[in-house]
Formats: sequence, structure tokens, C-alpha cells
Amino acid sequence: MTAPATDSAPAVVQRGSFELTLRRLLRDKAGLLALSFILLLVAFALGAGVVEAWTGHSAFEQYRDTGLTPTGMPVGPGAEFLFGTDGLGRDVMVRLAYGARTSLTIGVLASLIASFIGVSIGLVAGYFGGWADIVLGRTMDLVMSIPVLLCALALVSVFGPSVILSVAVIVFFSWTTIGRVIRGQVISLRQRDFVQASRSLGAGPVSIMIIDILPNLSVPIIVYTTMMIPNGIVFEATLSFLGLGIVPPAPSWGGMLAEAASNSIYLVAWWLIMIPGAILLITTLSFNILGDALRDALDPSGRPTRKRRKVSKS
Amino acid sequence: MRSNSTAALMALALSSATAIFQAGPAFAEEPQKGGTLRILGSAEVDRFDTIPPATSDAVNFQRAVWRQLISFAASADTAEQVKAVGDLAEDVPVPTNNGLTYTFKLRQGAMWNAPGGARQITSEDIERGFKRMCNPAIGSPHLTYFENLIVGLADYCAGFAKVEAKVEPMKAYIEANDITGIETPSADVVTFNLKTPANDFIYLLSLATAAPAPVEVLNYMPDSPEYRTNFISNGPYTIESYVPDSMLRLVRNPAWKPETDPLRKAYVDAIEIVAGVQADAAMQQLQSGDGDMLYDHSIPPASAQMLIAQGDEKMSTVTTGRTRFVWINTVSNNNGGALKNVKVRQALSYAMDKAAIVQQLGGPTFAKPLNGIFPPNVIGYHEFDLYPSKDAKGDPEKAKALLTEAGYPNGLKLKMPYRNIGSDPALAQTIQESLKKAGFEIEISPVPPADFYPRLITNFSNAQNGVWDLVPAGWSPDWPGGAAGSIFLPQYSYNGTHGTFNFSDYNSDRANELAAKASATTDAEESVKLWQQVDETVMADAPTVPLVAVYTMLYHGPAVRNFLPYAPGGQGDWTNVWLSR
Repeated sequence: MTAPATDSAPAVVQRGSFELTLRRLLRDKAGLLALSFILLLVAFALGAGVVEAWTGHSAFEQYRDTGLTPTGMPVGPGAEFLFGTDGLGRDVMVRLAYGARTSLTIGVLASLIASFIGVSIGLVAGYFGGWADIVLGRTMDLVMSIPVLLCALALVSVFGPSVILSVAVIVFFSWTTIGRVIRGQVISLRQRDFVQASRSLGAGPVSIMIIDILPNLSVPIIVYTTMMIPNGIVFEATLSFLGLGIVPPAPSWGGMLAEAASNSIYLVAWWLIMIPGAILLITTLSFNILGDALRDALDPSGRPTRKRRKVSKS
Repeated sequence: MRSNSTAALMALALSSATAIFQAGPAFAEEPQKGGTLRILGSAEVDRFDTIPPATSDAVNFQRAVWRQLISFAASADTAEQVKAVGDLAEDVPVPTNNGLTYTFKLRQGAMWNAPGGARQITSEDIERGFKRMCNPAIGSPHLTYFENLIVGLADYCAGFAKVEAKVEPMKAYIEANDITGIETPSADVVTFNLKTPANDFIYLLSLATAAPAPVEVLNYMPDSPEYRTNFISNGPYTIESYVPDSMLRLVRNPAWKPETDPLRKAYVDAIEIVAGVQADAAMQQLQSGDGDMLYDHSIPPASAQMLIAQGDEKMSTVTTGRTRFVWINTVSNNNGGALKNVKVRQALSYAMDKAAIVQQLGGPTFAKPLNGIFPPNVIGYHEFDLYPSKDAKGDPEKAKALLTEAGYPNGLKLKMPYRNIGSDPALAQTIQESLKKAGFEIEISPVPPADFYPRLITNFSNAQNGVWDLVPAGWSPDWPGGAAGSIFLPQYSYNGTHGTFNFSDYNSDRANELAAKASATTDAEESVKLWQQVDETVMADAPTVPLVAVYTMLYHGPAVRNFLPYAPGGQGDWTNVWLSR
């Protein structure tokens, strides 16, 4: 039986940091919406085979009788082709699903690798300072000053387009942002007492970096990696759009947009631009919103104060 | 017709617009003089000089500023389009001396717009044009044709090759040496002596490269900035101003007299060729009347479909003689030299779904399945198919059977690079999909357009090293009409040295023999029959898989009247349209 005295007082619940983060995250409507779209997209990409089986259309087969007019124009959205067909009579929906696989794989993979490189270099530069910082810091500046697209085009035209090269190009040009952020954070962290304590206990630099500093960087790492995913996806789409990314007939969103733009086919087939374009837009938007939401949830100190004022007024 | 100055193959392709022209409505209006004709293009006119290789689009510019001995009338009539007629020559001569000697009488009153005032074009000027062809600075892409025919030209050129590529030595060589086979008995008569009879020699003289050259041009390097500023025209127009990559403006040539020119009416006062306009924008400007004609754009299929659907009568088609085909590499050892086996090549021929290519290009209005090396309306074209299939959709079963017979029951893996521009990526994927049904696994890879012909395909070591197994390619004959030789000789004949456009040194002694007879005979009907046999002989070896003959779509703005195609340019003739604004 509960004591009557405690009835009027609010119950105090002890919550862990994970639970608090989750609660903050769940309160963010936009973030939640973005997260559900991303989950749906992942399901769509993973279930590309199911989509293929359900429609009965392969991503590569050209349906020249049903998917193209006799004059070679694509067929619009309808009963047989839910999202219409492309300029070669292939099912846009099935290709979109397989394209999602490509985009997500490249986006996530490239972001993870870039983030790993960025964090490692940022840690080293920030922790050791001095010459290490000068060399690594200038390298970052150098990479950031390279005209991205021009260099990517040159690389691809020398080595020929491929998935691996696309990932490499994206990684090469995206690790610097997170690298700089981490370096800045590490410079301030290494002055802190717990690092000094560790050092006085005899911990070596590697151990301090990994055991003491790295956990304190989890917030920027999670947030920046999430934010890098849309950049990777757009970068891949850009390369494919220019014919330098994924080699056709493998589907990719950028490639689909490029095919729509070539030969002015978009003039008669709006769905070739609108559908992949909209999905690309919503995907990048979702990842960005999710990144924002994660930052707010993980690091409440950085949240705008407007909300608090509202709470205090009520 | 999309051509690129860097793509040598296309540069050679002075597309010959033979045939079907669905003539627009007949205008009963009186011709009007005056106005400025606005031509829209993405690239600019790449060459002002007659000698260096130029894109096929430049032919329309050359028509306006240059005249040569022979040319073609702009006409809606397909036979008239490809009939060689006298331009600077008074008429087309009948060869004498068993077809070895051609004597031309020059038209009097045809003038150079020379700095010292108008001056009559003489037989010396004609010979000077031929002399400049093999200058050591930039030679003519058509030199081989002439060297093989004109007596003494090869020797003349061998000597010229040793001269330093500078103005003074080149001028001295041209002034001191003569081509023995070109005689100039008087100022108005020029005679050509040939090594062998050639029934296409007259057509060769219609090329811009065979145009006369005034004596002043010897003071400049070919097509140099000095040449361009001191441009001397002999056609109805001359250059008024030129802003690189932006606009070239032509105005009337004061030295040109209409009564001396039966082929050009020159109704408009000025012609502006605007560069840097995208295809979509150009089409919109044409529809709104801000532009009049297209320079190097082909009409995007989607736009063409819309215009056809709207019943726009300013739309028309012309056969440019352009073909598309897949070249097979028979010199590499990929797959154990599988493609050297004629059965494998025949299997490819059977497997190809040509109907799909036609559909991809926009349907029967835009292309027609092709089964031989000659397109319709080039001598030698006839209906035949050594590898038939129902509705030209390909016969994968037959192909598989041949492949098994050749010892490849599990199919073959082949590499096919393609030019990453326009409809080529779509075509490559169409070819890939159609060959897949017969067990060929085609690995396609995009190549930047600027690299495709110059670096990849015309580099013979790439073929030998098996960098490619198949390549989709295109060809347009160099002159209209009797152009079988300009298709067969560069691509399907081999004389011991590798020819740039015979990608894997294809040779057939029998075909060569038939072709030699076909070029030499004076009997037109026999010539046709012989060329037909050449086609069948080549196709039996299946060195290429012909895909389609392409019809070019033409469009013009609402103000343009008398839009008649000029066959070599594959466009309406600038010098015969008039404007009604």
C-alpha cells in the first residue's frame, strides 16, 4: 500500500541517459517522421526482391511491347507499371528499389569510412598538436581546397567508373569536415582534468585517445556521420548523373535522373524526373532532419531556448 | 548528324542527304529578299579554311561562302538532291580517254572577293586548291581519295611532306611545283588526268576540300587567325564579324553575281550563326520564331514526337546516309579468339534485335533496320538479309545454335565500350539486352565522347590488346549519291597498312575485286549490281552487325520559306531560304 503522504507529490523516476535521449527524440515530431521515412526506405531497398516478385518485372528487362510505345516513348504510371517505365521500357518502381540499395549502400558505407578516417586524423592532430597538427591540418585544408567535381571527373575518366571508385571519391572529399570538428573538440578535451588524471596514472597516448577521449566524442561523431549520409547519396547521384558513377544498366537514382534528362525525354515523361527526384529530395531531407534531431536529443544544451520559455510560462 | 571535331570519324562524315524528304507545304508566296537568318547551334563553325578536317555541320557554312567545281542543287526532289551539277564548272563533263581525262570549262564572271577588288576565278586557282590539300601544316582528311586517283598528286605530296610547316617554305613549294595530272591550258580550262577510271570522281569534286584557293591565302598558315581575318570568299556571302564561341556573322559578298550562280539564290542579306545554345533552348527559340534554323543540333526524339503529335508542318525528315552498326573485333585473343570464328559473328548477327533499336530511336519515322553496309539511296543498297528474323526482332534460338556449333554452348562474355552522349547509352543497353537472350553477356562501359573515337577506337593497339570486343559505331558517306566507295574503301578494305576506320583490318579479296570493278565501270547499272555483290560478300563474313539507317529530322522557324535540303549538309540550304517575318 502506498503511503497517503506521497500521493500528492509527483513520482520521481530515475531515467538513464539513453532513456532520456530516446524520450527527447520521440518528442521531436519532425525527427520521428524522418526516421520513419528512412526505415521505410531501408525496407523498400531490402525488399527490392519482393517488389520485383510482386510486380513481376525485373530491374533490367526492357518491356518493349507493354512498357514502350511503338515510337519508343515510355509509358506513364498505371496499373501495370505503378511508377511508369523509363526510356528503355523498364519498370521505374523496381529500378527505384534497387537504386535505393545502391544509394543507401554507397551513402552509408562512404559516410562510415569517411567518418572513421576523419575521426582518426582529427584525434591524432588534436591530441598531439605541434607538427602532427600542422601537417594533418594543412592536408585537410588542401583536400578542402580541391575543386571537388572537377577532380572527381578527372579521376573517374582516368580509372573508369565503378562503385568502388565512387565510394573512394566520396570518402576522399568528405572526411575533412568531421576531421576538423573532432580536432577542435580534442584540443579542448585534452586539457581537461580527467585526461590529466589518466596521464598521471600512467596511461599512454593511444589508451587516452581511445578510452578517455573517444567516448566524449560520440555525440559529434553520430551527428556528423548521419549528416554525411545525405551528402554521400547526393554525391553518388551527381556522379551517376554525369555518367561517371554507377555503370548502366545497374540502377541508381542519379543515373535514372540522367537518363530522364538526356534526349529531352522528361518533356514527355514527367514521372522520370518527379519520382526519383522527389525520393532523392525526401531522403536527403530526412537524413538531415534526423541528424538535427539526434543532435538535439543527444546534446540538449545546444537546443534553442524558445521551448523552455514556453514551458516555464505554462 | 551529331558530330564532334575531335571525333575523327564524324569529322570525315560529310553526311550525304539523299532521299526521302517529306517536303513541307508549298508556299505560293513571292520570294522576298532581305532579313537576317539566325542559325542556332551548340558548337561554333570549327573551320573557315577549306582544307583542314571540319565537322559535317560546317558543310552548310561552306555552301554559303565557297564554291567548287561541282555541287548539288537544294531540292525537295530526292533524285535532284544527289545529282552532281556544275557550280564553278559550266557543266559536268563526260570523261574522255577511256574515263581517264576530265576537262572542265570554268564559269566566267565567278569572282573572288579579293582585297584589290573582284577578280575572276581561274584554272590556276583550282590547281592551287589541290596543291594546298597536302600542306605539311594541316592536311585534308580526303587526301587519300585524290592521291589514289589524280596522276602525280602522290609524288607532289611526298615532296611537300618534306617541306617545313611554315608560310614561306610552303608558299615557295606550291609556287615552284606542279601536279602533273592537273593541267591548266588556259585561264578558263582545267583538265584532270586519272590513274584509273573512277565513276565517283565527279562527286569527289563536290567536297569543300576541292575548292579553289586564291593566291593571297599562300601568305597565311591554313585556317590561322591571319587566314580568318583576311578571309576571301567566292560564294554569295562573306564573313563580317566573328566572336569566338559566340557568333559568326555573314553578309553579302559584293563580288558575287547572282547570274553566275545557278545553285544559290541568296535571298537573305545576312546570316548569323549563334553558338552555345542548348538543344532544348534552340528548339524553343525556333518554335517562338526567335531563331530560324539549327546548326549542329539534332532534334531530341522527345521534342520530335511532340511536334509530330501536334502535326507541325515545319517538321521534315531527310536520309543523311548515316548508318549505325556494331563493329566486331577480330584481331584480339579475348575468349581464345572466339570472334575470329565467323560462326560466332554470325550468331551476333542473328541475335541482334534491330526492331528494338528502331523503336529506341523513335520508331520507323526515325530509322529503318539495315542488313548491309550501304544505307538506302546509296548505290549498292538493296533489300537482302543474310541473317533474317521475324520482324527484324532477332533470332536468339538460331544464334544459340550457331554459338554451340562454334564451341561456346555456355555463351560468351564480351566487352563493349560506348560513347556516353545522346542516345548512345540507351542504344548500348538495348544491344546488351538483345544479345543477352542469345547467351552473350555484354559488359558495357561509358567512354567520354571526346575520347571514344580518337583515343579508344581508332587506336589499333586497343583492338589488338582486346580492350574492346564490340563497339557501336556510326558512319556517314563523304558525298551524296554514288558514295558506295566512301563507305567500302575506308571501312571494309585493307591494303596491308592499317586503315583508321577499318577497326580490325577486315579484308576480303573478292569484295575488293568487285569494288574495283564497280568503281571503274562506266555502265551505271553494272556498277549498281557490282556494289550489291560487294555488300553481300562483306556481310557473309559478318565483320560488323548493321543496325539501322537513320533519318535526320529537320525543323525550322515560322519565318523560314523555301526550306529545301542541301544534301551534303543534311540541312535546309541557307543560300536558298527566304524570310517572311
